[in-house]
Amino acid sequence: MNNENQVAAKGAGAPPWVRAATKSPLLPIFGILVALIVIASVGSPHFLTEYNIQALVRDLAFAVLIATAMSMLLLLGELDLSVGANASLSGVLAGTLMVQHGVPAFLAFVIGALLGGVFGAINGILVAGLRLNSLVVTIGMTGVYSGIALVLTKGKAITGIPEEILFLGKGTFFGIPIPFIVAAVVLLLALAVLRWTPIGRYVYAIGNSAEASRLIGIRVDRIRVLLFASVGTVAGLAGMLYVARLGSSQTSIGGEWAINGIAAAVIGGIALTGGTGSPLGGAIGAAIISVISNLIVLFGVNVYWQSAVSGIVVVLAISLGSFSAMRRARRERMIKTRDAAAEPLKVGV
Amino acid sequence: MLLRAEGLTKVFPGVIALNDITIDVAEGEVHCIVGENGAGKSTLIKCLTGVYKPEKGRIEVSGEATTEGGVQFAAVAYVPQEIDLFMQMSVMENLFMPFERTGVTTPISYRALEERARPIIEEYGIKATPRTLVSELSVADQQLVQIARAVQHEDAKILILDEPTSSLTDDDATRVFQVVRRAKARGMGVIYISHKLDELAVIGDRVTVFRNGRSVASDYIENVDIDWLIREMTGRKLAWEQSFVPNSGDGDVVLDVRSASGPGFQDVSFQLRAGEILGFSGLVGAGRTELMLSIYGTTPLYAGEITVHGADGERAGGRSSRRKRSPEMSLKEGLAYLPEDRKRLGIFGGLSVAANTSMMSLSGFVRGGTIRQGTEKQAVLEEVKRYDVRFPTIDTAIRLLSGGNQQKVIIARTMMVTPRIVIFDEPTKGIDVGAKYEIYDLMRRLAEEQGLGVILVSSELDEIVYCSNRAIVMNQGRVVSEFDQPLNKEALVSAMFGHRDPIGNVNE
Repeated sequence: MNNENQVAAKGAGAPPWVRAATKSPLLPIFGILVALIVIASVGSPHFLTEYNIQALVRDLAFAVLIATAMSMLLLLGELDLSVGANASLSGVLAGTLMVQHGVPAFLAFVIGALLGGVFGAINGILVAGLRLNSLVVTIGMTGVYSGIALVLTKGKAITGIPEEILFLGKGTFFGIPIPFIVAAVVLLLALAVLRWTPIGRYVYAIGNSAEASRLIGIRVDRIRVLLFASVGTVAGLAGMLYVARLGSSQTSIGGEWAINGIAAAVIGGIALTGGTGSPLGGAIGAAIISVISNLIVLFGVNVYWQSAVSGIVVVLAISLGSFSAMRRARRERMIKTRDAAAEPLKVGV
Repeated sequence: MLLRAEGLTKVFPGVIALNDITIDVAEGEVHCIVGENGAGKSTLIKCLTGVYKPEKGRIEVSGEATTEGGVQFAAVAYVPQEIDLFMQMSVMENLFMPFERTGVTTPISYRALEERARPIIEEYGIKATPRTLVSELSVADQQLVQIARAVQHEDAKILILDEPTSSLTDDDATRVFQVVRRAKARGMGVIYISHKLDELAVIGDRVTVFRNGRSVASDYIENVDIDWLIREMTGRKLAWEQSFVPNSGDGDVVLDVRSASGPGFQDVSFQLRAGEILGFSGLVGAGRTELMLSIYGTTPLYAGEITVHGADGERAGGRSSRRKRSPEMSLKEGLAYLPEDRKRLGIFGGLSVAANTSMMSLSGFVRGGTIRQGTEKQAVLEEVKRYDVRFPTIDTAIRLLSGGNQQKVIIARTMMVTPRIVIFDEPTKGIDVGAKYEIYDLMRRLAEEQGLGVILVSSELDEIVYCSNRAIVMNQGRVVSEFDQPLNKEALVSAMFGHRDPIGNVNE
């Protein structure tokens, strides 16, 4: 926290990115994350151990993957509750291909991720083509995807996933768990698309007003399907990484992913109505949730209480986000009052 | 005096929103307040209704000083500009909400509620039964329900109306006036805020002009005229002495519409030339917007042909007419449409001025798959300067700008794709007087300097008369008459109500 104050004090003399960072609406939640990490390091001797950090970062990878995907959809004003079921079905299908049909493991891994994309596209086509509400559609599709997974496996795990791909879930690269590297790449990709491509801008436009977007010729439905498909692909990828981590395909994979993904995005300042925020906020939100879960275990909270405590902390974090949003809104009202007296623009300033 | 506010001052960081305002309203009086957006009208309302606490000054109701918001709240009935009703509830439920305050007891007897609501509905001339859902009413009736709800509150002595007729036709506005007169007759004091200057003479007793947080002039209605009002509001002389008709209306035909029929209009034919402004006049519901949406391609065309001519006189894009049109295709052909509902269909409220400005032309800045943000920013800055958009910073969210500046951003955004035909649908709705003239001048410049064909759909006769080279009047989905300059208001009005003008050439 001290560090931030120093940066803020430097003010105008600092390089542009520092100034942008100090003005960023993500600063408060980033502060919360830092505070949580400090509390954890001071409060528990086990937090900063290599074993714990490894486990934490590996969990975090999956949380960030799903939070990034969910953030993109929320920006568009949609959501996908079926990401978990999608991941588990993709994992089961790919697992079957590897174990029972002898498909090369790496190929099956890729097919698994792509299948996720297909399932996502199905969601998108239902939402865009039939003008259905994405909440309702994806609640339904959750049942369909997890149901198919159950039928295929009869509830049993598919074991014997080939050794050669297990490193994708369990391995590290220069000490960093591979799933985390994948998650970071996906996050950076999402940020780059949003910032530097027309499609990214259109996502924000559609989230602000789909009708206005249509009226200026943006292909709203196409972008909706594309985003649902991308999100499905990320879900499928996450599912495959999890299969590689466990060494088996299970129908239980992804149970709470969708809910945690939405919570992470909301903590990260993404409006459920769409159009404002950044997946970076969603990723920070995911990190907050992961650190809290980790803390609860480290502090030895009674196992029956864990879910309640984690819920309370998540609601607290969301409330804090809403509080800072209210403060922002108040500042904006002042700008609006001032607009009357706004000076003509001086170009070049 | 029923209400007297003396020396009200309200300061926000960096701006004095209200500067030593004194205002009063007597029993049975309608006191009109006019001023541009940001002049302090809303802040005044918020002080009077107890939302804001003024830094200085006192507010008296019936001679009693009120420092607490609560006293005022009971005496002041406020009707906001935008409809603020429970859409999915019945008229009677809306009238008596909140139930605890209107003596409706639990369990609710809907029959008793209906009995209480019926005389009110009749008194206010609301076209509905007590059990009709508010969402099924016309905007005018919704507005009347709002007023009825506010007024029938027993302690209410003062009625504040914030632009109650801004989205109503003249006919429906008359119904609102009747209700206001009834409130007057009951001895209520009415504070009436409006942008429609010509209605002040109809309904007002006194008028006060606000400018930059000050009350700059106040007089009895019979002593003032529209020129005076505009002068006081803008602080400069600006009236319809100036014409905004382009002097370039004889270019080639750029848009040819033949026997077009679609949802809400039948058998419409007209041609638009480069360099002209073609006005479309008519009552609300005459089918003008519906026609434009079909031309633009958001709604289907049942029959007829629409041809956009390219710069070389050939058909743009090589296609036309019945084949399914889309906004995308229209834009490619050089036809752009600026919607009436700016807030919902025009702007992307949460995005910055810069993002809004470049949204239609992003593909032009892409090199190697990514947007060149430097080039983009440069182009955006040039364009917003050309159209004189005013804003705190280019990264400010557009919804924080005034209506006039939002409209200018939309114009800048559209011009970045260099269209040859632009359809303006009620371009100055909800925009304050000074900015209106800037929009008119922009339209004129687009036609004159850039040779655009401009279609202006407007319900304000003055706009049509002072901006258009030619005017087409529609009634019930059909073209009734077409007029050339000099345009005559009386003839336009007569045509709006369906009378074919003997001179005007019908469906040439």
